[in-house]
Amino acid sequence: MVSSVDSEPLPAADSRVAEPPVTAGEAPAPRPRVVILGLPLATLVIGLLVTLALVLVSASQYTSNESRLLKLRVRDASELLTGTLPTLQATLASTAELADATNGSVSRFMGFAGRDVGSKGEFASLSLWRLDTPGAPVAVVGIAPKLAASPGQATAFLAKTARDHTLGVIGLLSGPSPRLGYAVVAGRYAAYAEAPLPANRHSKLQGNNAFTGMDYAVYLGSKRSGQLLVSNVAHPPLPSPSASQAISFGDNKLTLVMSSRIPLAGTLPRDLPWIIAILGTLLSVAAALMTMRLTQRRQSAEELAARLEISASENRRLYAEQRTIAQTLQHALLPDVLPQAPGIQASARYEAGERGVEVGGDWYDVVDLEGRRLLLVVGDVSGRGLRAATTMASLRYAIRAYAAQGDLPPEILTKLSHLVSVAETGQLATILCVIVDAGERTLDVTSAGHLPPLLLENGDGSYVYGELGLPIGVEAGSQYASRKVAMPATGTLVAFTDGLVELRGESIDDGLERLRKAAAGDPAALPDLLGRLVSEFPGGRSEDDIAIVGVRWTT
Amino acid sequence: VDDLEGLDESLVSFDIETEPDGSAMVRIGGELDLGSIERLESEVDRLLASAPSRLVVDVGDVRFADSSAIALWVRWATAVPRFELRDSPPLLRRVITAMGLSTKLGVAS
Repeated sequence: MVSSVDSEPLPAADSRVAEPPVTAGEAPAPRPRVVILGLPLATLVIGLLVTLALVLVSASQYTSNESRLLKLRVRDASELLTGTLPTLQATLASTAELADATNGSVSRFMGFAGRDVGSKGEFASLSLWRLDTPGAPVAVVGIAPKLAASPGQATAFLAKTARDHTLGVIGLLSGPSPRLGYAVVAGRYAAYAEAPLPANRHSKLQGNNAFTGMDYAVYLGSKRSGQLLVSNVAHPPLPSPSASQAISFGDNKLTLVMSSRIPLAGTLPRDLPWIIAILGTLLSVAAALMTMRLTQRRQSAEELAARLEISASENRRLYAEQRTIAQTLQHALLPDVLPQAPGIQASARYEAGERGVEVGGDWYDVVDLEGRRLLLVVGDVSGRGLRAATTMASLRYAIRAYAAQGDLPPEILTKLSHLVSVAETGQLATILCVIVDAGERTLDVTSAGHLPPLLLENGDGSYVYGELGLPIGVEAGSQYASRKVAMPATGTLVAFTDGLVELRGESIDDGLERLRKAAAGDPAALPDLLGRLVSEFPGGRSEDDIAIVGVRWTT
Repeated sequence: VDDLEGLDESLVSFDIETEPDGSAMVRIGGELDLGSIERLESEVDRLLASAPSRLVVDVGDVRFADSSAIALWVRWATAVPRFELRDSPPLLRRVITAMGLSTKLGVAS
């Protein structure tokens, strides 16, 4: 009867590592660098457009506000100007009426008009004219009127003034010192005055509050294109923005034009568009830069994630590969086929632990000895990796060699103690040897620091404790003793490594007891029993590797 | 007094003290396994290079130790004239006993 080893399937079928490897070709290709400029550029453009809109709105608001305030100022100034005109008209009117009432008395006229002419009056010349002889004045106070130089013009002007029954304004009479001439008619007489324009053309009114901070120009006529009377600027016309208002001036009009030298609503509204423009541009640029930076960061994060994904899948692949290599090596180092003896069945399993990515130091072996005897071996070299595996392999083959030359387990273990030294390599090995002697019907147990084998008989389980010797590697030349126990007629002996009973935070005795209960009374075939004991480990998978070997005899 | 402290990824902490009389004390805590004892091993190797006359290893705070940790202590025990494993918790003591190492490591079984 041959019992082959029931090994775990190779880890290619392991669900934890069976995910398809992701090749580098499937990795998301890095996006072209130019793409990141799109969003920041859009942010900049939108920011600048919003800024521009705000600038335009605030500028137009400022302009319309200024214009409104300017109009108010012009109106105030116009009223002030209007208020001075009746005085002029009244003076002329009373002069004309006096002349009419006194039948053109020159002496009365001279006496009356003297007050208003010269340095203390507002007229440079005041003259009395008869409408029926309008070519020359009847009497003159002050300097000679310019109108007298052109009798035709005088006749026409006085005739028109008589028709209009109001203050007649002849306009600006040119000459070295321009004068303004006006007349009022009463009955048959007309009072005519000429007033010089101020030498610097500054109005007496400009000291008034209504003119503070303002530039102004007053034109004769209803348009700005009329004759300039007074202004405070050297070279009219006034700069834009300006506002104007026409004022009745006898049969003519005056046009007051004003513009402001300072912002009427204060400097903030004037500067606001600039402030908005500067701040808006800065904010737009900052927002664009920030967007660019965020975009870059997102892109690098995506690239990093892609790279991590590649490396993670590479790791998974490497892990799977390592695990495959480790377990292939492990299987190569462990027996393929277990020997048999009449009436004795042997089976074994090896289960890689959670850290199974490296080859482990656990092993099992069954050696066929002379005459219905099997040597059951299970061992555990501390540590992992190739060093542990090679030590394991050398111990396994050394045991086979010593057993082949007839050594018994105590001698074998003592000889092994010379092969391993914890002081030199840091390695220890625990080894359990059991000779199952079907002829003598004994179990001969020798242990080098290893956990005891579990004996199952009649639905019951018990551990067979032998004399515990030092693990291999502690001391060269350690001595070992075997313990012989009787073999029941039918039974199963299970030997294992500590991975099967070791659980963090739990006593090893609890692990042993759990195993004993799980195994006792299970009528399953030996391979199935071993498989179940391994697969029922709490939490699914042991942290450490598990080697388990069992023999069952039915004699 | 040489004072070293380490904290391994897997929460192994240790502390090494040397006395003027040539003895040394190593306090170890946490969960010790093959993957977590590397730093502890290299630090104590440096200590052993100075040939202490006595090494006391306090394992009172060790919650778990696998066979590689125990092999490490055995190696230390063979490297110094006098060795003592102190304050071993019951679970740990049981593992040491099960490996037949209670005498070697000076642990009451």
